[in-house]
Amino acid sequence: MDLKIIDMSDRHGKFVISGIRPDMANAIRRCLMTEVPKMAIENVEFHLGSIRDEEGNEYESVSPLFNEIISHRLGLVPVPTDPTLYTYKDECVCDGEGCPSCTIIYSLNKRGPGDVYSGDLEPLGGPELRVKDELIPIVRLGPGQAILAYVYAELGTAKRHVKWQVTSGTNYRYYPTVNIDLDKCEGDRACIEACPRDVLKDLDGKVAVDDLEACILCRSCEEACDVGAITVSGDDTKFLFEFETDGSLTAHQALDKALEILEQEYEEFRESVSAMETA
Amino acid sequence: MMVPVRCFTCGKVIGGIYPTYLKRVQMGEEPKAVLNDLGLKRYCCRRMIVAHADLVDEVIPLG
Repeated sequence: MDLKIIDMSDRHGKFVISGIRPDMANAIRRCLMTEVPKMAIENVEFHLGSIRDEEGNEYESVSPLFNEIISHRLGLVPVPTDPTLYTYKDECVCDGEGCPSCTIIYSLNKRGPGDVYSGDLEPLGGPELRVKDELIPIVRLGPGQAILAYVYAELGTAKRHVKWQVTSGTNYRYYPTVNIDLDKCEGDRACIEACPRDVLKDLDGKVAVDDLEACILCRSCEEACDVGAITVSGDDTKFLFEFETDGSLTAHQALDKALEILEQEYEEFRESVSAMETA
Repeated sequence: MMVPVRCFTCGKVIGGIYPTYLKRVQMGEEPKAVLNDLGLKRYCCRRMIVAHADLVDEVIPLG
């Protein structure tokens, strides 16, 4: 097995993995999507009734959206997660009561008129817990309207709800191979023009491959070629992998965690199979 | 109503992009160029921004 990393930045990962089978590549993809745990907002406690500010002005705790919808929107906001720090709430030493190793608490206090943004979530804790995307609009308050709430984030996986999904646009494809038979090629450039991803180029009157990894195996070039000089095929032992994260974990952390969980699950499976044999 | 926080189809966080997009398009930039620049490469995320109608202002008095 060989791994070549093309890009592994904060929120984007792209790599080529070779010497594996399609089912193994799919296992990595599914693991990245549903098994990687992260923190997300699960409980919101709204203050009901009137709210007073420092100058004694009175506000009504109402807003244009229902409280359920505001909680749902808050839930989708990515919360920065240190993958080594947190445990699931029901497995925590506090027996699900909520403690710093399983919950992050934010306070949300804003008075209208104006927009409430995700950046208005004030963490009760260190500044490293601040939400990274500060510009996500949550709700727009009118004059005399206000919101005061305590917001609790906990650990989970995307099996329960998509708000715990770390990666989006997780995909892989067979590594492309483009074969050009220059003896047959008539050089009419039809294949170059047919390619939607600009994979091919004209090199001194001959067709050549310019950017192989952009190829999506659509075979438009094969169709455009009347003499059959160009063939495209995918390699089912080599895969081009790409995914994005929502910013709660970096791409590197997400991939690390996914592979760790995959290994652990295989180990559990192996153990239960061997237990069956002895029984 | 308010912009969705995430793309309905792929789950990418797009809510934070909308205020920036609006500001830049109102300044006279080409919407296509702004979307590309903000990193929306899939059409599912692009339609979230382009097809959004901000109607909260009409509901505020009813709150």
